[in-house]
Parts: sequence; structure tokens; C-alpha cells
Amino acid sequence: MVNRKLVKFLSLRYKILALIFIVLAGGLVLLPKYEKQEGISPEDLLSNSISPERYITTDELADRIINQDPTLLLIDVRDENNYKKYSLTDAINIPLKKILDEDSEPYLNQDEYDVVLFSNDNFYSDQAWILCTRLGYKNLHVLKGGINTWYNTIINPMKPTENMASNQFDLYAFRKAASMYFGVAYPDKIKKKPTIIKRVSTSKAAPKKVIVKKKKKKMPVEGGC
Amino acid sequence: MKELEKTKRISIAAVLTILVVIIALLSYKRPKYLYAENTHDTLDKITTSNYFIALNDIEKNNSVLVDIRNAFDFNKGHLDNAINIASPEILREESSIILERIKEDNKTIILYGKNPNETLMAYLLLSQLGYDNIKILTVNISYDQNKLITENAVIEDTAPDINAYIQESVKKKAEAMKKLVVKPKPKTFSAPKKVIPVKKKKKMPVEGGC
Repeated sequence: MVNRKLVKFLSLRYKILALIFIVLAGGLVLLPKYEKQEGISPEDLLSNSISPERYITTDELADRIINQDPTLLLIDVRDENNYKKYSLTDAINIPLKKILDEDSEPYLNQDEYDVVLFSNDNFYSDQAWILCTRLGYKNLHVLKGGINTWYNTIINPMKPTENMASNQFDLYAFRKAASMYFGVAYPDKIKKKPTIIKRVSTSKAAPKKVIVKKKKKKMPVEGGC
Repeated sequence: MKELEKTKRISIAAVLTILVVIIALLSYKRPKYLYAENTHDTLDKITTSNYFIALNDIEKNNSVLVDIRNAFDFNKGHLDNAINIASPEILREESSIILERIKEDNKTIILYGKNPNETLMAYLLLSQLGYDNIKILTVNISYDQNKLITENAVIEDTAPDINAYIQESVKKKAEAMKKLVVKPKPKTFSAPKKVIPVKKKKKMPVEGGC
């Protein structure tokens, strides 16, 4: 008796196998949910965002711009009008809405340049940073304080009062020099002879005029002959 | 007889694959936290919806204030009826239990910190994990002699007109330069320049040894 049942069962075995495979295929329905799981895990995203490593201060940024750091890439995440009114030297404009577009990806998803995102304050640039970090982009930084702080520290630095530490005065001197680099003129800095000031024009159309002073390298004195 | 062997082998292979798949499914560890939104949806949400709320607009019964600063600052002074979930601990068990309970009660979670920037991380993380009812409180918190001071914050204030400032300073300098009297250069009588040809001595190539 059992033998006959077994034989019947065995004769249906292919249909049973097919049924099992169909059931497993039903498990594929779970996959669409995983489409939303793009990017790094929430725990990683949290630990990346808690650390303040991504912030770069306006002083550091001014230093890098003045030294013409070739690895710097500035991205303005404000809208076009604000970008046209004023933006940092050589900054490109990717409004926040378009930060995940395909055209913006080559600027953000690369490891050659250090990208610095900035906006009026650091709220929008932080948002851009968090979304791009979730997608795994590296080398992204945020300008702490944005353009507002840029104005208050670099363009129009606050003069330190007498009771502040001496490094504040050095910082103020640096900031004043930086402001002259970026176009601000000071009436008390007039000399009779005009000095060649390295100026970067603020209008986007004109090409950058940088007068490069070639440093003449002295050949090392060869010993002997 | 041979055909039976073949079919036997096929069925054994099929059973083995099914076993492997079942084992893989069972050993698959479900990650603790799963995103509920992808990045594009999140971006749409933050650029189009209004997720800010001012202190005066809070409905006390329908919302829960969450302070995302650390415990020390919270103990120093916090808004009334606020609970404390520090940012780094937002993914811990205890925090997610609390947040889930708020979600079930259908109340709004209102995040605040020292300034709205601090809350941004918590806001984005929670909204990507699926919490829909979150808002950010637009306040700046500071202390004056151990008393808590709240003031309304403006998100992304308009930038100062830097170009205008630069143009102004250039104008001011030009005006100051006009006032400056430039001394006329004294005329120097220059003797006629004598051109003395200098013979360039060609250096013989250095021969080795020297």
C-alpha cells in the first residue's frame, strides 16, 4: 500500500518541485522594498553626520582659495539668482533641488577634488551633504556659516578690541589681507606708486586675471669647477 | 535503468538547490533599521514641504517636543515638557521605542536644539526611516546666567549684498585717492645713454675632471 502511494508521490515530483519554485519566486515580491535601501546604512549615516569633520571654516577656505589649491571645487547650492548676485570665486551652481540629478553626479561623485558645498548659512548645504553622503559620495565638505559668515569674517572682518589675545590680531591681519584679495579696497592703504595687486574679478564673464610673478630659480652653485 | 538514474540525479540536484535557498533565507539577518524613502523622495520632501514650526504655533496636545542636545545641556535648561533624545542616540532601542509610541499616538514630533542646524541630522534621519510627522522648531537656545533664553531663528537668512559692499569700498578708495595730492615728479636730467656692447663670453663646456 505504502509503496503505491510513494510511487504516486514520486510521479508528481516534478509538479511539486515546480510549485516550490513558484513559491520562492513569490519571495521576489519583497525586492521592491529593497530598492529604497539605497546608500549606506542608517547607523553609518548617523555616525558620519555626528562628526564635525565635514565643516571647513571660512578662514581655511580663504587660505585655500588664495593659494590656488587645485583640488578645490566649490559648489553653490543656492538658487540661480543668489548665485548670480554674488558667489565665491570659481564656484559652480547646483541648486539644492538638482543635487541628485544625473548632470550633477560627476561633480559630486568623484575622488579627485575636495568638494565644498555652501549656501547662505549651512542649513541647505548640510542637507545636500547628508543626501550625498547617504549615496556614498566622498570628499564632501560644508562651509560652516556659509556666505553670511564669509561676509562677517573675510570680506568685512571685525577688528579685535584691545583686550583680545594676540592671535586674534594675527587673524584679523590675515582676514584683512584676504578681503583685499577678494576685491575690497581700503582708503588707508593708498601708496603713491600703484602696487600690483593680485585681483580676481568678481564678474563671471571676465576671465581671471592673475599676474604670476615667475620666481627666478637660482642654479645651485656647483662645487669645484 | 539509465533513465531512472538521470531523473534521480536531477531531482537530487533540485532538492539541494532548494535546501541552499532555504538556508540562505533563514540565515538572512534583517537589518535593524531600514530606510523607508529613497534619496530622491527625501529631496523632494525637503525642498517642497514646510517642515518648520515657530514656538508660538505649537499645539501642546498634539505634539511632543524632543530636545536633541546632550543630557548635560538638557539638564541645564530645556523647554517645558520636552523629552531628551540626544542626536547620537537616536538609533538606540530606547529612543526608537519612545519615537514609535509618539508615532502611534499620531502626535507631531518637534525637534529642537541649540539652533535649527543641529536638528537637521536627526530630522533627515528620522524622516528617511519613515517618520512622517516631524517638524523642526525654529529657535536659537542660549543661556544667560543659567536661565534659558529662546529666540526665533531665521533659516538661511538672505546674504548681505557683498558686491555692493565691494563696490562701495572701491568708490571710497577712489574718492580718497582724489583728495591725495600727488607730488609732481622732479625732472631728472638723464645723460644720453651710452651703449656699451658687452661681449658675451661663451663658456667652454665643462670638461670632466675639472
